[in-house]
Amino acid sequence: MGEQIRRAKNCTACANPVWPCAMAGAVSCLSGIRDLAVVIHGSSGCYYYPATLMPGELFGTFLQEPEVIFGGGERLEAVLCTIPDRYRRIAVVTTCVTALTGEDPSGTGTFRDILVVDSPGFCGGMEEGYRLAMEALAPCADPETPGVNLDGLHPADSFARGNRREAERLLALSGAATATLFSDTTLDRLHRAAPSSLSVNPDLAGGAGQRIGSLLGLRNTRASFEALADACPGTDPDPVLREIRQAEERIAYVADKFLRRHDPPAVAIFGMAAPAVAAAEMLTTFLDTQVVAIGSRNRPGLSRFPVTQMTSLQEIRAVLDREQPDLILGSSYERMVHPQSAFVGITLPLRGRIQLRARPLAGIEGALDLMEQVLNACMDRARGRG
Amino acid sequence: MTLKPLPSGSRLEGCTLSGALSVTTQVRDAVTVIHGPAGCAQHNLSLLHAITLENDTPDLPLLLSTDLDEGSVIFGGEEALAAAIREAAARDPPVVFVLSTCVVETIGDDTAAVCGRDWPVPVVHIPTAGFLGGVFRDGFHRALHAIAGCAGDRADGPGGVVLVGEKNLEYEVDVHGEEMRRLLAQLGARVDLRLVRGMEWDALHRLASSRLNVLREPDLAPLGDRCRERYGTPFMPGYPVGLAGTLLFLARAGNLLGVNPAEAVRREEEVQQELLSRFSDLLGSRIWNPSASGSGEDAQLVQELAAALDLQIDRHGTAVPLPDPLPVGTAGIRHLLHRWRRAIHG
Repeated sequence: MGEQIRRAKNCTACANPVWPCAMAGAVSCLSGIRDLAVVIHGSSGCYYYPATLMPGELFGTFLQEPEVIFGGGERLEAVLCTIPDRYRRIAVVTTCVTALTGEDPSGTGTFRDILVVDSPGFCGGMEEGYRLAMEALAPCADPETPGVNLDGLHPADSFARGNRREAERLLALSGAATATLFSDTTLDRLHRAAPSSLSVNPDLAGGAGQRIGSLLGLRNTRASFEALADACPGTDPDPVLREIRQAEERIAYVADKFLRRHDPPAVAIFGMAAPAVAAAEMLTTFLDTQVVAIGSRNRPGLSRFPVTQMTSLQEIRAVLDREQPDLILGSSYERMVHPQSAFVGITLPLRGRIQLRARPLAGIEGALDLMEQVLNACMDRARGRG
Repeated sequence: MTLKPLPSGSRLEGCTLSGALSVTTQVRDAVTVIHGPAGCAQHNLSLLHAITLENDTPDLPLLLSTDLDEGSVIFGGEEALAAAIREAAARDPPVVFVLSTCVVETIGDDTAAVCGRDWPVPVVHIPTAGFLGGVFRDGFHRALHAIAGCAGDRADGPGGVVLVGEKNLEYEVDVHGEEMRRLLAQLGARVDLRLVRGMEWDALHRLASSRLNVLREPDLAPLGDRCRERYGTPFMPGYPVGLAGTLLFLARAGNLLGVNPAEAVRREEEVQQELLSRFSDLLGSRIWNPSASGSGEDAQLVQELAAALDLQIDRHGTAVPLPDPLPVGTAGIRHLLHRWRRAIHG
């Protein structure tokens, strides 16, 4: 709270904020639980944004002014009564106003088993809402459950489907079954997770079980599968490690060819901290790239690269104008404000481009895809086609 | 593909803030301050981002969020608002708009009082208050009224036509604007101001010398009335829809402009006849649109085109699209008939 009060006193406005709020993050996490109905308890304005991001069905109370003044309980109950029987449980996500008015949706009418996630937009960014939702879901590990969980799957992320497929493929290659997917699962499986997990995005709260490692970048993927062999006896990391070596050789070959004609690109990277840092590792390793800036949407952890949290497009624009990078990894916001740089999308939103295939960012195929896109974007730019 | 179906009704008509932003962000170089959590600004920025990419417009407007967090919600956000207005004013914009959200309405911030302080640039407060202030349409209307209220006193001068209340989030907004230009040019009139689309703040005074205001939709009539009372400017209540509707628009607009519209109407009739001849291959086709059985403007348009092209309206006919809002002018009908042909022959 102390820091928040200091911020209020400093009163720095945020120009063109680009990162979704906690409410959207909570909804994203919950919407991955297939037999859980998700109700946004607030106005239509709060409903529409997550509804454009999430692939599944969402419910909303679409509150109006009288319901804020006299209480929204009846309205919530009316909405809950319309939820189809195929859902086994209901989650209600509060929004700014319902959190401020102090409504407690946990015992609405005859509904006694409501999962309430108190994640109003003012309490933080998307990752905070995701964490609060995961906390409310309270998944647990069962030592008897075989396999390995995957976490960091985020339904609003355009890489989620590709990341899931790639992680499942690698697990199968190592002889491990995929256990619970966080957050792409059912209520039952949520509470019967395996004791170990791998993550496709460690910046998102994990589910249950011990997190063994990350699948972002080849270095992390190698370390994770080596650790997996210790944590899960019976798994064999060698096929994965062999494939990583082959991928490294393939990338090294094309990167070396690129460097025979071109200077390494100066790159600015924007996104959640973990994927951004993993991309920086890949680019410096294979292309001897100069990383001129990493702007993370969330609070960054420790890394060998200097990472600054940036959620204002104005701040991002200032960095890009100052650094004039050859290459940007980020969202369509960065592409829009600095179209002269080569661009590869790694974070939401990625508007204005069509993506139909399951594109991964994690695992071996994710690393190959990233390097392929980077090299093609840089070559197109060099040819004046970028 | 599954799209989330939304029941109709005012409960679902979106946020007042979004409605107001769809107007204020069309004033060039203006800064819009959104007094609330950053999420409210981000949701709307994301929407505007998608639309600017669809419309191939180069950049985003500047939204400054006061970025209220838990501390501000507890202790009040008025100082954060004052700081944001200061920051906005320091950029020396022609105008700063201040929009409130439901959060600041709930915590009781006096947004109007902060905006009423002595600022070095014009600060226009538009009370939006998210859903506590109504729905999208309310925010849209309030923003238009607030901006129109800054146009100043009646000015004499040659004056042109003002297009009032274009739907800036509409995919075809500029196509419709272009059609209005074309139609009005046939009457020798020029569009002097688009209130508000890509508008320079300095150009707002043209509202005060307008010869004719053309409202995008009839429910903007209160704004039309207000301008008529203040400036004596007549208004057309909506954009033209349909073949006959377009001719009628020209006739009425000509009369209001003091121009004999007969020649313009005759020329437009020729344009329409030529257009219909290009779609004569549709003759006798069976078409269906759920609106066709009603009696509203949409039904009238389907029936009019069916009669003009000798199409049969039949429940078992080819489903043809009808956009909402309805197509504007003769050019709108051309676009629509191409889509119908694609449906019929596709």
